[in-house]
Amino acid sequence: MSNRRSRQSSSTLRISDDQMIDLVSKLRLLLPEIRERRRSDKVSASKVLQETCNYIRKLHREVDNLSDRLSQLLDSVDEDSQEAAVIRSLLM
Amino acid sequence: MNHQHHFVPDFETDDDYVNANTNPSSSNLARKPIIGEQEEDGDLMELLWHNGQVVLHNQRPNAKKQPPPPPPSSSSAPPPALDHNLFIQEDEMSSWLHYPLRDDDDFCSDLFLPAERQTSNQVVTAARPPVPSTVRPPEASSMRPPAPLPSSVRPPVRNFMNFSRLRGDFTGRGGESGPSVSKSTVRESTQVSATPARESDLTRRTDGIGSRGTVDLASRSAVDGGGGAYTVGHNRKGKAVVTTEPRNENPAGASSSLASKSEIEPFNETTIVDERKRKEREAIDETEEEAKQGRGSTSTKRSRAAEVHNLSERKRRDRINERMKALQELIPRCNKSDKASMLDEAIEYMKSLQLQIQMMSMGCGMMPMMYTGMQQYMPHMAMGMGMGMEMGMNRPPPPPPPPPFMPFPNMLASQRPLPPQPRMGGYPAVQASDPSRVYGSNQQFVPNSNQAPYSGYMDPYQQFRSLHPSQPPQFQNQAASYPSSSRVSSTKESEDQGNQTTS
Repeated sequence: MSNRRSRQSSSTLRISDDQMIDLVSKLRLLLPEIRERRRSDKVSASKVLQETCNYIRKLHREVDNLSDRLSQLLDSVDEDSQEAAVIRSLLM
Repeated sequence: MNHQHHFVPDFETDDDYVNANTNPSSSNLARKPIIGEQEEDGDLMELLWHNGQVVLHNQRPNAKKQPPPPPPSSSSAPPPALDHNLFIQEDEMSSWLHYPLRDDDDFCSDLFLPAERQTSNQVVTAARPPVPSTVRPPEASSMRPPAPLPSSVRPPVRNFMNFSRLRGDFTGRGGESGPSVSKSTVRESTQVSATPARESDLTRRTDGIGSRGTVDLASRSAVDGGGGAYTVGHNRKGKAVVTTEPRNENPAGASSSLASKSEIEPFNETTIVDERKRKEREAIDETEEEAKQGRGSTSTKRSRAAEVHNLSERKRRDRINERMKALQELIPRCNKSDKASMLDEAIEYMKSLQLQIQMMSMGCGMMPMMYTGMQQYMPHMAMGMGMGMEMGMNRPPPPPPPPPFMPFPNMLASQRPLPPQPRMGGYPAVQASDPSRVYGSNQQFVPNSNQAPYSGYMDPYQQFRSLHPSQPPQFQNQAASYPSSSRVSSTKESEDQGNQTTS
């Protein structure tokens, strides 16, 4: 999208408007906090980026948590059962 | 540590300044401030760290140059202390430190006389970025023994004059402005807007202050406020005092200078790296400002305002870049140097993570159910799960899914027909193909293989059971391979294929 301007600007320290719009729209869609609490015009780039990082870390933790649970479930399931296959696929 | 000056013993001495000061303590000031070493040290540390080098360097020559009284011997002792104080201030400050201070001799002398000794050192060092803040504690000390050391204190006094002046204005303001100041400090422009004049203005003003009495008061009040927290809190107060007063009283220079100082306070909050960067920039700005001083007040003010704006812009961009780097580290296999593409990848990664978590949680929830024996509920649950998944997935993206969310609707679409239709091996195939296609994974056939053995089952429960195992894997494939190179097109194709195979 903002490739043309972003290409030049990305290399520099500047973040183009397109990038900003991209950033804000993505975060608005994916972050419940930003979506609920902030209006788009109020969101600052750094805040959005920070929320994104926090959210990704949170998702990572959740994935790890679920992986642990699935591993436990896998242990309790027959090796050749369908469930085992499912769990393994989930865990990969 | 340099006990002689009673300040910052811990600072690493800068080679440059070591020569000038010949005091290890002074050089320490140049380094990053050590908080909590001693009261004075703590103050010093903060101040020194920013502009310490610049300040110190300037200080010394100033001290030496000062024609009047400060004897070189006495100046040598105090100047190091002063240098430290000035040191701490931002580079911007150093510019005005150099120049103006001369006039304030008598102004400062009262305050700084006592401080010359150790107290003065402390005072000096205490004058962190928010000059007033640092000055306060030292001032307090200096205040008490007010006057005797005019000569020795001179050089240092000069520097403090600017601060002291601010102090004087602030008398009684220190406390209130603190919190606001700290906030305002973050925005240099805010304060600067009042008076574009930067430190240079400040220095000028110091000359004009002439209200020594007030300065003393200010210093006292400042001291009270700043006595407790040398580190951040102290600075804040210092800034508050400085900023508020200058704004009120010295509209132009003081506030601007304070603003720059207040800027420094946010450093405490921000990372040191950011601070260093800012310092560098500020140093550059200072030199610019100095150049402007010669041009005239009007142009100087405008340029200063522009500088302030640039500084704030720089800070903002630094913050953003810092966050971008952190985000890049979080995203696996992100080799994009382009910000826009990195952001796009981050978006996709987040979506895939969300999807994966949904799948896994569903699997976790369903797994126990599968062998709990509640088979009659399984079909319902399966349907509910499928629907739930659809709903869940629909939630993040808007109902009319935009292109980025294409995979979701495709997956959901494939899921919908599955539950209601009692197909043995068809559903898994369909679903597997869609989700896996969404992200271009190659594992779409895994669920099919799982389903194959059960194709013969006529049990409705079996049907849903097979659905469940296949569903998670499908999404798992999808989530695992979040790079969505050809997901949109492939998804549609898979749907067609799946539908055909199932039907």
